[in-house]
Amino acid sequence: MSFYDFFLPSVKCFVASIAFGVQFNIKPRHLIGAAIGGFGCQLIFIITQATGASEIISCFTAALAITIYAEILARKLRVPVNMYLVVGIIPLVPGRYIYETMITLVDGDIDIFLRSFTDTIAIAGAIAMGVFSASSAVRLLKVRTKI
Amino acid sequence: MSGIELLNMVSDIGSMMIECGAEIYRAEETIDRITLAYGYSAEVFIIPTSLIITINSAGTPLTKAMRIKARHTNLDRVDKLNNLSRFICVQKPDAAEINRHIEAIRQRSVYGFTLKLISYYAVGGTFAIFFGGGFMDAVFAGVAAVLIILMEMAIERVRPSTFFRCVVCSLMTASLAIVVTRLGLTESFDKIIIGASMTMVPGITITNCMRDFIAGDFLAGLYTLTEAIIVAVGMAIGSVSAIAVLTV
Repeated sequence: MSFYDFFLPSVKCFVASIAFGVQFNIKPRHLIGAAIGGFGCQLIFIITQATGASEIISCFTAALAITIYAEILARKLRVPVNMYLVVGIIPLVPGRYIYETMITLVDGDIDIFLRSFTDTIAIAGAIAMGVFSASSAVRLLKVRTKI
Repeated sequence: MSGIELLNMVSDIGSMMIECGAEIYRAEETIDRITLAYGYSAEVFIIPTSLIITINSAGTPLTKAMRIKARHTNLDRVDKLNNLSRFICVQKPDAAEINRHIEAIRQRSVYGFTLKLISYYAVGGTFAIFFGGGFMDAVFAGVAAVLIILMEMAIERVRPSTFFRCVVCSLMTASLAIVVTRLGLTESFDKIIIGASMTMVPGITITNCMRDFIAGDFLAGLYTLTEAIIVAVGMAIGSVSAIAVLTV
């Protein structure tokens, strides 16, 4: 894998994250931080995959990383965690598998349909588990909740 | 501040927070803190579609129930309300001043409509490339994404259900992608559909769902989970029917 392969998808994610941030009305000051989250999330996903881990493990790791990033940054800057979390999570959404699931259902190709459907569920579950683990850990750490 | 004034104020703040995409526990905690700051105690029950607040005012319970109908993601407003509640807890201003602040937050919009449209175009375009599409795919995915938001605004008047809205929008996206491919402008329609559909992914709903579950608000979590599934199914049905009809 070349340098290009690592960074190009992450840069695309960076741009997409900024655009998503505008949709969610995140103001410019926080937009950059959120976009860096999206960039880092994708970079971690690619690096984990390059080490030979499955897509599910990679998604889990990336979701874990982005949640820790979002929780720490949100606490430091005293803003809602969602501002950083939502934008970072979106590039992990398994768009390709969801699409494949739909298409194969129409084609009547049940074998591939079942496979892509299971993949979709597994990746969604991996993302949820990543967010769950990181957020729960952070909740344990904080003594007093700040709003 | 009298109990009734306080009740009206916190219900305004709480419902606006939920409307704009805050988690349940955040809204509940905010209301709790504000009422405590003025020396009252409150019982709060919030789910994504309604909120019930009871304030104990000198032995007399005052209750307000509110239905939350509109849903529009505006994370900046959540942040502003958060800061406002922190300000209220420290300064304890009077009702008129707080209402002025709430009104100012309601008026405020970070980005204009044109910039929003550009951002939709960018989301569609970049995701089309991200999922392996070419330049022309990105151009048309952007167009489809902008059409999605325009369509959402056009059918807003008939108060569509979430499911209907998703079916209509994805039907339109898929039809556009297939027509463009038939005309020979792009090689395949799948990248356009995936890219444009990313604008409809209920990102805030999915995230809030997970965060509600973590916070222990299982009822709210189930509601948002159902909403996310309905959106996904609606999108699938819309694109699938367009593909099934137009590619035979």
